[in-house]
Amino acid sequence: MSETVLMKGNEAVAEAALRAGLDFYAAYPITPQTEILEYLSKKMPELGRVCVQADSEITAINMIMGAAYTGKRVLTSSAGPGISLKQEGLSYCAANDLPVVYVDVQRGGNGLANMGSCQTEYKREVTGGGNGDYHAIILAPASVQETADMVSLAYELAEKYRNIVGIMTEATIGQLVEPVTFKEAVDPASLPVPSWAKTGKMISSSDEPIKPRIKDAKPKADRAKYFQMKEEVQMWESTNVDDADYVVFAFGAPSRVVYDALLILREEGQKIGMIRPQTLWPYPEKALEELKEDVKGLISLETNCTGQMLPDVALARDLHFKDRHVPVYSCAYIVLDRIPTVMQVVDDIKAIISGQTEEAY
Amino acid sequence: MAKEVVFAGFGGQGVLTAGYMFAEILLKVGFNLTYMPAYGAEMRGGAANCTVKFGDGKIGSPLMKDVNLLVAMNGPATDAFEKLVVPGGTMLVNSDIVDRKIFRSDITVVPIPFNTLAREEGNDRGANIVMLGAVVKYTGITDVETAADIMRGYFDEKGKSKYNDANTRTLHRGYES
Repeated sequence: MSETVLMKGNEAVAEAALRAGLDFYAAYPITPQTEILEYLSKKMPELGRVCVQADSEITAINMIMGAAYTGKRVLTSSAGPGISLKQEGLSYCAANDLPVVYVDVQRGGNGLANMGSCQTEYKREVTGGGNGDYHAIILAPASVQETADMVSLAYELAEKYRNIVGIMTEATIGQLVEPVTFKEAVDPASLPVPSWAKTGKMISSSDEPIKPRIKDAKPKADRAKYFQMKEEVQMWESTNVDDADYVVFAFGAPSRVVYDALLILREEGQKIGMIRPQTLWPYPEKALEELKEDVKGLISLETNCTGQMLPDVALARDLHFKDRHVPVYSCAYIVLDRIPTVMQVVDDIKAIISGQTEEAY
Repeated sequence: MAKEVVFAGFGGQGVLTAGYMFAEILLKVGFNLTYMPAYGAEMRGGAANCTVKFGDGKIGSPLMKDVNLLVAMNGPATDAFEKLVVPGGTMLVNSDIVDRKIFRSDITVVPIPFNTLAREEGNDRGANIVMLGAVVKYTGITDVETAADIMRGYFDEKGKSKYNDANTRTLHRGYES
């Protein structure tokens, strides 16, 4: 481990990726994630690695696809509409089982969107994003340290399952400065070259193909892989759930507001817990095993106005509570483009406890 | 509970740098911390502030809430954030710029001529170092010598060692204010 330093979430993404052996990065600038490009554009040439400011997001993702074919560790990053532009390329990466890692520092809203700290890209990320029939593993950090840790985890998962991994952060996590300790740096040259990697040598019949040659094998293998990832990759952190009457589901920056709100509610005698999903796909359905049997309600709390995570909480509820109905409530916020205040969350949870808020599912 | 310090003023007054150096000192003396900047697109003139929270344990929301110590570098910052200071908390007001003389009675208000003190040390652009010295004093996180050491290290890394003497004197002026 290295010395503990202060760093922004976005810079931590870049430094952690370098230390994980990132060899090829291509991206197009967009707030609130441009520090990733800025940081890598300084460091990668010094290390003899490739950093490209591409002429568009679409060019960047296609460059990433090409680089990933060689088995190197690659990265692209963007935000909001920039990630939307990459979806065609990401779907191609999924079609070819390429272990691509990307970072989405979310913007707020539709279309061009704004720079508020929002979670309006949940729905796109957890459904795969592009056309077709695939899922990316989606990791959602809530601190600068966790951002750094999830970058190295992303490469491990991407290579283990030969699958796309997205790290979904948001403006608050990208701009927040906190102490962070990085893992020891890995030399990209020391990483093993995967058997499927294209090395520029003549293709012979004994080469492992990128895509299985038998027509039906790929969908069958994909189905098995997605079920396997769903079983093996779920991650979450729970706070005070064992005696909780109500359990809040919140990820990323708002989960830290909820943490403070829970302290206030506990002092007032309210037993409220939190499950903080660290993977958004696969959704941590297993976390519900920690809940007490007579829990009174689940609350999906997120910074978007439609409640994008809400159906996943409801599905997890249905899977776990088969014999009785446990209400699922929605706390969805876009408050002046910022995450809600602690007192607002306290008030909204109290409104649910007192029966003033109707259940959503 | 974590303590909360807010540095607020115009862009260009050094509030973000002062807060960042304070965060560096907190890290080096062993606190957990968060540093959250908020600023407009302008390099100078727009509103800028940062919130630094620190303590020994886990820190929840990094956003401004209950301010224990506020450094208000201009009138708009004073007007906007005075109400967020907790009863019994402290507000350091830049008396070089802020005309207002009447403040909340349930907080301690300390007028400090941040720009004048920096200028007197031949460090016209050192109001942020005066802020840093004052915040080290009013939070009591460490002694001024340790803070000065860490500050010099920060400028050494930035290749700005030649200002270390003036900055050290300026830090002391803030600490004594």
